[in-house]
Amino acid sequence: MAWWEVLVQQTINGLTRGAVFALIALGYTMVYGIIELINFAHGDVFMLGLFVSLAWFTLLGATQTLTGWQLVTVLPLVFLLTMLTTAVLNVAIDRAAYRPLRRSTRLAPLITAIGVSFMLENVALLWKGPAPIAYPDVFPSVDILREWFGVDSAIFVTTKDLLVVGATIPLMLALHYFVSRTTWGKAMRATAQDRETAEAMGINVERTILMTFFIGGALAGAAGLIQGMYYNIGQWWMGYQAGLRAFTAAVLGGIGNMAGAALGGFFIGFLSAWSDQYISARWTNAIVFAILILVLVFRPHGLMGERTPEKV
Amino acid sequence: MTVNARRPLGWAALVAALVAYPFVDRVLGFQTVHAVSDGMIYVLLALGLNIVVGYAGLLDLGYAAFFAIGAYSMGLLNSPVLGSPLYGHAWSFWVCIWIAAAVSALLGVAIGAPTLRVRGDYLAIITLGFGEIIPVAIRNLGDVTIEIGSWRPIERLNLTGGENGVNPVGRPYLPGVPFETDPVPWYFLILVIGAASLWAMNRLRDSRLGRAWMAIREDETAADCMGVNPISTKLLAFALGASFSGFAGSVYAAKLQAITPGAFEFQVSIMLLCMVVLGGAGSLKGVILGGMLITLFDRVVLTQTTFMVRALGRTLGVSALATADLTLWRWFFFGLGLVLVMVLRPQGLGGRRLSPAPIADDAEDPTSPDVASAPRVDAIPGWLRERARGGVAASPAILDVRGVTKRFGGVIALNEIDLVVPHGAIIGLIGPNGAGKTTFFNVVTGLVRPDAGRITFDGANLVGLRPNAVVARGIARTFQSIRLFQNMTVLENALVGEHCRLAATVPGAVLRPPAVIAEEARAHARARELLEFVGLGGKEHELARNLPYGDQRRLEIARALATEPRLLLLDEPSAGMNPREAETLTDLIGLLRRELALSVLLIEHHMEVVMGISDRITVLDYGTRIAEGPPAAIQRDARVIEAYLGTGYEQDLASRTSAS
Repeated sequence: MAWWEVLVQQTINGLTRGAVFALIALGYTMVYGIIELINFAHGDVFMLGLFVSLAWFTLLGATQTLTGWQLVTVLPLVFLLTMLTTAVLNVAIDRAAYRPLRRSTRLAPLITAIGVSFMLENVALLWKGPAPIAYPDVFPSVDILREWFGVDSAIFVTTKDLLVVGATIPLMLALHYFVSRTTWGKAMRATAQDRETAEAMGINVERTILMTFFIGGALAGAAGLIQGMYYNIGQWWMGYQAGLRAFTAAVLGGIGNMAGAALGGFFIGFLSAWSDQYISARWTNAIVFAILILVLVFRPHGLMGERTPEKV
Repeated sequence: MTVNARRPLGWAALVAALVAYPFVDRVLGFQTVHAVSDGMIYVLLALGLNIVVGYAGLLDLGYAAFFAIGAYSMGLLNSPVLGSPLYGHAWSFWVCIWIAAAVSALLGVAIGAPTLRVRGDYLAIITLGFGEIIPVAIRNLGDVTIEIGSWRPIERLNLTGGENGVNPVGRPYLPGVPFETDPVPWYFLILVIGAASLWAMNRLRDSRLGRAWMAIREDETAADCMGVNPISTKLLAFALGASFSGFAGSVYAAKLQAITPGAFEFQVSIMLLCMVVLGGAGSLKGVILGGMLITLFDRVVLTQTTFMVRALGRTLGVSALATADLTLWRWFFFGLGLVLVMVLRPQGLGGRRLSPAPIADDAEDPTSPDVASAPRVDAIPGWLRERARGGVAASPAILDVRGVTKRFGGVIALNEIDLVVPHGAIIGLIGPNGAGKTTFFNVVTGLVRPDAGRITFDGANLVGLRPNAVVARGIARTFQSIRLFQNMTVLENALVGEHCRLAATVPGAVLRPPAVIAEEARAHARARELLEFVGLGGKEHELARNLPYGDQRRLEIARALATEPRLLLLDEPSAGMNPREAETLTDLIGLLRRELALSVLLIEHHMEVVMGISDRITVLDYGTRIAEGPPAAIQRDARVIEAYLGTGYEQDLASRTSAS
């Protein structure tokens, strides 16, 4: 491979990774925007999204590569069911572990979030065992450049890459529409700005928070499903690492800022892919964390600007 | 009396039990000494973490990194693997353990330094990041190859032992003590280190430094404005917390004879956090209890319960139970424990601290017998009088502010403000809400840096000084919305005020030489006198947050006086007070000026108070000074009446004065 082919390939890798990070980061940033909590368990909701989506595929009997009509029936159905499951799970986590601490110190719910994270990881460990699980190759993988365009290139782009982008971008646009155009979205933005005033204006704050966790959980579930279909592998501890990378993305974009979280996700995706290629995969984690620390210390409002323009 | 007589007895029994335990264990053949010693190492780690989390209130999610640094300092210095020259020397363990503690402390400062400007939850994530980076670095530095093109300046360099870790590690050597074969000497070694650490921590907590940590935990800004330097205080907490883990880590490495990077992962940090949270952050006894319970649970309860469940499963013929392994659930239980403790009992099993203050909407309690007696001249503490006499004026005005301007974005909060406080004067600062009065206080006290202008205090420049340095110069303030250290006692609040007038350092606080003992005794006596003076005598040991509103205001004044100020800035001291209380307050301010020659700058909305005692008044409106002069002139000033007092004001004041 020529050097530019390596770069292009790694950038494509980064794009698909980044799409998953971005979906997770949106959940982080929404929850932080509304109740100022680093929802540490969010990465594990993503991990469970992968496991749960596999369970739904199995339940629906779709463990082979989907074909034709299945792609437009089974696949959307599994998306829906998975997102619903993780959304309900995320709401349940909030009710059990965060809601009782709404009026407590800032650090109290962070500690319970870590507790929940450990519980979820342990549940996944006992459910699927410590070994990596094989995720069936449900989405057809076609080498686009060769088979569709007849180009003989070292660069490898498949229909799976299209799936990642094709699933992520509509979800983000739907979220953007929801937050900026609907009454619910307005309630979320108002609550994020000032919870007490929002309450005084007749907004049901607890229901708004519930909605935030619901949406965040649904996005994490979608990310888990996409991750599973793309990489065909899952492990009980993957949520911790993905969660921290996604959190880094949210911080890079200015936590609370949704467009920032999405861009931050793609940025971290590119960065980790390039780091794997050009430095060493074993240093990538340290590099991501070093960036997280530097941003938190020097640009706590993120790279996008001083203040969060659209805070949710 | 009986309690006092029982305490030494209790201590003697405890010591006897701890000393007898390994021998009893041997006679009975339990063979638990190894496990108990390991458990004690983790308890020691939890105690170190407690300094950071419990006292200073900084959530550290990467404490295992310090444990790793301690262990690797010992391992790398006292192991033949990487060719350490210290290995095999009889004295090297006893040297390395101090090096390990020092290296850990240095790393504590290095990790602490960048986090100082960061808020609480971000700080937690940063420590977590460091906690992740350290094991990654240890793993990867075992095999370093740098390749730039075809040039390889470094090839397969082993700095840390990599994934395989370091093995063996040298044992300690004492003549006649069999560290090689017997677990009992290890038990006593760890017991001695643990007891010494506990002793030192206990003394630190009750020192000026411990009070400063807790003040930072409760309210960092208020602590800064009472003379506590938040930066050095936090760094000290990180450094000391880390140094204890340096001891623990080096003993761990020497006892285990081998260390691998896997022993210092995130899970270890969280297990230690579990110990602190379960026991009660800030409580030494609680953390020890929490540490013992979690170790017991991890090592004994889980395995024993598994045996029982399996036995039960076999008897009942249920194969699921017969093959169950509860130890696989340990992280589930730790997580559940964290959630349950935080939700049900956030102060932990042994703590009373760190719980949040109730939302203060019950501020004004009409039924409380909250009428303080009028302050008396003879109640003024003698030492405060002496301080007042000692000062020699270097300039005619104690505070001289010229042309101070402060902008927030496009808003001009202060526009070229001039204000002079002569020695011993009471100057009122009034104006409508949002006029910039509190901003002015914030600029003078160093919380906000002015964009332009000069501020001189007794002839010396103040601009650019941090709030705690301003306090040390002799300016103290109170806050518009009360900012006491809620979960500290009344006495401790006053003692924090004296922080910048005390000198004890870490060795002083731990070893308590006569000078430090005398200093502490004097500080306590002064704090009590001050509390007596403002009318809080007898309430020294109540938590500040449990005081009624008026008492909280008085405590703020006592705390400010404890800093031995020459200029006092009072921000709406009579807010929320009834007329009677406001009058008592007026008397108190007058008394301070008359008897102590204290200068006062006063923001006030009660016109009776401010017109009655001020020598001169400055009026602000939209950040601009619109009038300055004696009270009588201010009351007639057309601009002031229009902007602030209102047209009905004069008649209103006249009628009220004649009525009383």
